[in-house]
Amino acid sequence: MDPYKVLGVTPQTSDDDVKRAYRELARKYHPDNYINNPLADLAEARMKEINEAYDMIMNERAGKSGAGASGGGQQSGGGQYGGSQQQRAYSGPNATLYSQVRQAINQGNLGMAEQLLQRANGRDAEWFFLMGTVYYRKGWYDEAARAYTQACQMDPSNMEYRTALNNLNMSGGYGGYRPMQEASLCDLCVQLAICNCCLNACCNAGC
Amino acid sequence: MFGFIRPMKSELRVREADRFQQVYCGLCHAIRARYGRFYTLFLSYDMTFYALVTGGDRADTAPPCRRRCDAHPLIPRPCAAPDGALERAADVSVLLTYHKFRDSLADEKGAKRALAWLLCRLGRRGYRRARERLPEADREVVAALDDLRALERERCDSMDRAADASARMTAAVVPRTGDDRERVLRQMFYHVGRWVYLLDAAQDVAEDLGQGSYNPVVLRYGLRTPDLTEIREPLERTLERSLADICMAYDLLDFGRDAELVRNIIFLGMPLVTKQVLDGTYQTNGGRGKHGSL
Repeated sequence: MDPYKVLGVTPQTSDDDVKRAYRELARKYHPDNYINNPLADLAEARMKEINEAYDMIMNERAGKSGAGASGGGQQSGGGQYGGSQQQRAYSGPNATLYSQVRQAINQGNLGMAEQLLQRANGRDAEWFFLMGTVYYRKGWYDEAARAYTQACQMDPSNMEYRTALNNLNMSGGYGGYRPMQEASLCDLCVQLAICNCCLNACCNAGC
Repeated sequence: MFGFIRPMKSELRVREADRFQQVYCGLCHAIRARYGRFYTLFLSYDMTFYALVTGGDRADTAPPCRRRCDAHPLIPRPCAAPDGALERAADVSVLLTYHKFRDSLADEKGAKRALAWLLCRLGRRGYRRARERLPEADREVVAALDDLRALERERCDSMDRAADASARMTAAVVPRTGDDRERVLRQMFYHVGRWVYLLDAAQDVAEDLGQGSYNPVVLRYGLRTPDLTEIREPLERTLERSLADICMAYDLLDFGRDAELVRNIIFLGMPLVTKQVLDGTYQTNGGRGKHGSL
């Protein structure tokens, strides 16, 4: 592995720019962006590669200049995620079934999770939440939103359901990307320009 | 395919715009060389995008060659030199185009049905050849199309379920390399297919309401008028999620060439088209209606 190639920099790049390149990449491949994404493992591998490349470059540079440590490593990525959701213990008629479903979802076995859910006795909030998560993983975002909304309506106090719905709606799961906003950025510029004109006009009139 | 997938021209570099046109022309020539003139009539930007993405892992771009064609008979135009990626894109293009004819034959009535029948007859030989070259992809596409037809018959009101059948078709045609790249491409083209299907449904709301044809967006939201303002927000949100998944798949692909061009299409062109369709300002061929114009 050529660490410089991984970070897209050269041996001549200054430390600050290497750090900047590293941060940029780490933001892109951060596990938070890939929650519920079927490619999460690949992003995690990238993240690991980036971290290693950064450490290699910084250690190498520290060695050359004779200094000791390398500014105390930037180990931000690869940390805990996914499991950190606040999960309230479910106690109902389907408790064991639902824990099996969660396990199947975590293993990425969505077909199994769906089958198990069909066997449930009645459909409570937890059922809709789990079904929504299966849809989410499959990329069926409209169905996921419907199921999560249903879950929230049936049990408005459950934070896990609410967080899931918010993630889906606010696109919290995909960090940097708001594809539609990039397209309407031009509108924003125009609006700003207009605001600016108005302000100028007002101020001038005032003076 | 519908031609929704195009770059945002104002943000393209001149050489990128040239390259896009060269790949478009190169793909057309590849189709003509492998399947004859007939299928070149149905070439779309969508397939140009497919050729750019699937050929993106190659490190070098061969210098373009200059060739004449039916649309430009006098002055030869620069074309991307034929390579494996373009040939494969040609095969896929023929396969999907023929299945689209078959789909119209099953769906339409009257004059349109007669036309679809004719197109099926004319395209059958080319399709057989493409099927020989891509047997697994063809099987998957046929299965997905059968599912889609069944869902249409039962007037399925789940947008995702209908879009899933369509998306499985575009996911089925990625190169089968059996590695991580195939996984990433499958995920990417699944969401490309989902986005195209749902956007096309949104675009056709007025027409389908008039004719009483199947339209998942109409059924999902129980529309009675072709006005999209009320459902614009949820529709945009769900389309945006697919776009985000395409972006994230893009980030995991290694490109040896055309990375910036593909990036323009995914990050700028597709969101722009989404906005235009939902606004009702979308026009085919960028409003110019000229052959090959962006």
